[in-house]
Amino acid sequence: MKLKRTILAIALILVTMTASAATFRYATIAEPPSLDQHVLTSDQATTIAQHVFEGLYTFNKSYDPIPMLVEKESISADGKTIALTLRQGVKFHNGKEMTSADVVASLNRWGVYGVRGPVLFEHIQKVEASSKYVVTLVFKNVFAPWKTLLAFINGGPVIYPEEIAKPAGKQPIPETQYIGTGPYRFVQRNPGRFILLEKFKDYVARTDAADGYGGKRVAQFDQIQFIPVNDVGTRVNGVKAGDYDYAEQISGDLYEMLSGDASVKTLLNEGVIMPLMFFDSSDGPFVGNYKLRVAVLTALNTTAALQAAVGPKNLWSANGSIMPKGTSWFNSAGLENYSPNNAARAKALAAEAGYKGEKIVFMVSSAYKMHNDIGLVFTKQLKDAGFNIDLQVYDWATLVSKRGDGKQWDMFFTHHGFVPDPILFSFMSEAYPGWWASPEKKALSQTFTSTLDQKKRLETWTQIQKLMYEQVPVLKVGDVYTYDIYSPKVQDLGETQLIWPKFWNVSFK
Amino acid sequence: MLKFVLRRIVGMIPSLFLVSVLVFGFVHLIPGDPIQILLGDLATPEQVAAVREEMGLDKPIWVQYGKWIAGVVTGDMGNSIFFGQSVLSVIGNRAETSILLALLTLLLILFIGIPVGYLSATRYGTKLDQSISGISMGFASIPTFWLGLTLMTFFAVKLKWLPSSGFPSIFQSGNWGNLRYLILPAITLSAPNSALIIRLTRASMLDVFKEDYVRTARAKGLREPVVNVFHVFRNSMNSLVSALGFTFAGLVSGTVVTETVFSLPGIGKLVVDSVLRRDYPVIQGIILCIALLYMAINLLVDIAYGWLDPRIRYS
Repeated sequence: MKLKRTILAIALILVTMTASAATFRYATIAEPPSLDQHVLTSDQATTIAQHVFEGLYTFNKSYDPIPMLVEKESISADGKTIALTLRQGVKFHNGKEMTSADVVASLNRWGVYGVRGPVLFEHIQKVEASSKYVVTLVFKNVFAPWKTLLAFINGGPVIYPEEIAKPAGKQPIPETQYIGTGPYRFVQRNPGRFILLEKFKDYVARTDAADGYGGKRVAQFDQIQFIPVNDVGTRVNGVKAGDYDYAEQISGDLYEMLSGDASVKTLLNEGVIMPLMFFDSSDGPFVGNYKLRVAVLTALNTTAALQAAVGPKNLWSANGSIMPKGTSWFNSAGLENYSPNNAARAKALAAEAGYKGEKIVFMVSSAYKMHNDIGLVFTKQLKDAGFNIDLQVYDWATLVSKRGDGKQWDMFFTHHGFVPDPILFSFMSEAYPGWWASPEKKALSQTFTSTLDQKKRLETWTQIQKLMYEQVPVLKVGDVYTYDIYSPKVQDLGETQLIWPKFWNVSFK
Repeated sequence: MLKFVLRRIVGMIPSLFLVSVLVFGFVHLIPGDPIQILLGDLATPEQVAAVREEMGLDKPIWVQYGKWIAGVVTGDMGNSIFFGQSVLSVIGNRAETSILLALLTLLLILFIGIPVGYLSATRYGTKLDQSISGISMGFASIPTFWLGLTLMTFFAVKLKWLPSSGFPSIFQSGNWGNLRYLILPAITLSAPNSALIIRLTRASMLDVFKEDYVRTARAKGLREPVVNVFHVFRNSMNSLVSALGFTFAGLVSGTVVTETVFSLPGIGKLVVDSVLRRDYPVIQGIILCIALLYMAINLLVDIAYGWLDPRIRYS
């Protein structure tokens, strides 16, 4: 009896020694390198950084760009001059008010050194501060997706104070300069342990209703801790034990079990992940040989691959439309070449394309289980159709290094996160490995970006998708949905999570 | 003795220099670019090259080595490419977890392994000895990830007595209560290591039992516990000290699985993560520190030999 009492007393002490209730603890799958959104595209970094930094625009629930730091915009009749009026009274975390000088400095740094900045800035003639609260973008030509690029925070133009953005160069800005306008401010990074944010008391929220990432943002937690917890079993146990309030990216095989577990809640992420298989357009058997690429597609069964790699049916969809269902970009152009699963026809097409059993180097990374599993299934399917596949499995750093040299590979596997506008896809850039730059693609891309008429853009995108199933620069395997889990004591997370989980307007019960 | 210690310390310098050359060479031979990993999937070759140049990673390898080793000599191991913080602070932060975990585990090993091994040896051939051997073989065979997750499920998820994972710094918070985060990992690590020490204690003592001086001691009429403790166990300690020394070094540097399962910010995981990120300065710094640790432990073990066995004299 005495022993039991002692054990209970120790347990009580241990339980009461846990973190304070106003701290929200988020278990992340990995540590981000830096939170500088201009020069990095790490999803882990964006999940954290979006609480600290804000851009001129953001996305609503339907993924349309809506104003964030901008109050209003006016566009000239020829579509080439855009004046952005900023919200007044917005404070940086250092207490300074945000003005057009900060915006101009930030946009210029992003335009030169940013990962996605040059995509917009090759169409921009100049960015200038017309007054304290008005920034004018002067374009060389009409460029339709300008607002989407300004709204996309991952690798996007968040606003830093001028004194930080102006001297900043190619390298990520140091953490001592993580000064933004967001509802939480950066406090500390303790490598391997946590990144700590705390409520920014002088945050000036928008007054319009919350909508997706936009509208009114209210920091309900005193602090947010982002804690790296690599192992999925540990993330799950951590939420169940009450050590974390939220854990991201739980594996598919646990979905059914966790969906019926009262100690946690599951939350699907709307931002689909698209597994992609790239073809080399610079060197090797696929250069200019579109028929051989179609032959490869003809041999594949994406349903089998997704089933093996992801598991539960509601976490994947064998969808060949490049943009997922539910978006206005969704269409069925070219889908007759998506996953025909016909080895005999693939063999015949390969013979017609002049394929004589040459070695095809296929690189996948063991760093992502999904890549590895789909790579194995595809290799088997392609070998059954007579292709001589040399599957090479590398860690991620090696694969990324090797894929920069077209002589070292013929196909490689990766994935892409959800993007609200197809212009943001990696393969739309001619510089991305695979190097798809056919004259037909160039012409359609030009039409796609140079019209402000959304109907015409949708039509052009349909044509681009059709071309993608003819020239096959890349195969989209399907849509994969990730899911997160959280403690039942957390409220207002909604029915689904957006691309990067956000925690303003979220609180404890 | 002092002369011996000093000579050994001076002797470490060429070894460390050799380690530094080998590590630097091997790290730069692995394919993969830390800047590409840092900047992400969409960074163009031009953007990557520009940052490489700014960080001096485009310079010839011997120039980079010269700059690095000159810094190391003055106590500056450079900055982590991934974290942007000084390598020493990144390693120091992790060393706290690893050293405390290793000490706690070693304590458990000593309290379990040696008494049980002693019992097994002194009851050689009995059912108790056979049971201990069987159980310790079982513990040695349990995969640590399974044991870790099972302990976590039971003590953290079901009973909620202990935290499931993580380890908040004691030195930063001053809260020694955080040691509770290391209890389950230490139990997990001590299971296979205790089994090893049980087997080793038993085997070493059984070897000594056959010695003439043990027979003489018994013939003198000394009581059995006195013979076992002061003649048998005492003389079997040399191999134990050696094993415990290297177990400690292994616990500090190579407990990746346990660190991953319990999400501990330790040295083992930092090595693996840094290799995957190609964070050259951190890999170099940490391997150098681990090499130094092994050399120091080797020296301490040698000193302990002399203390335990007065016949051993160093000159």
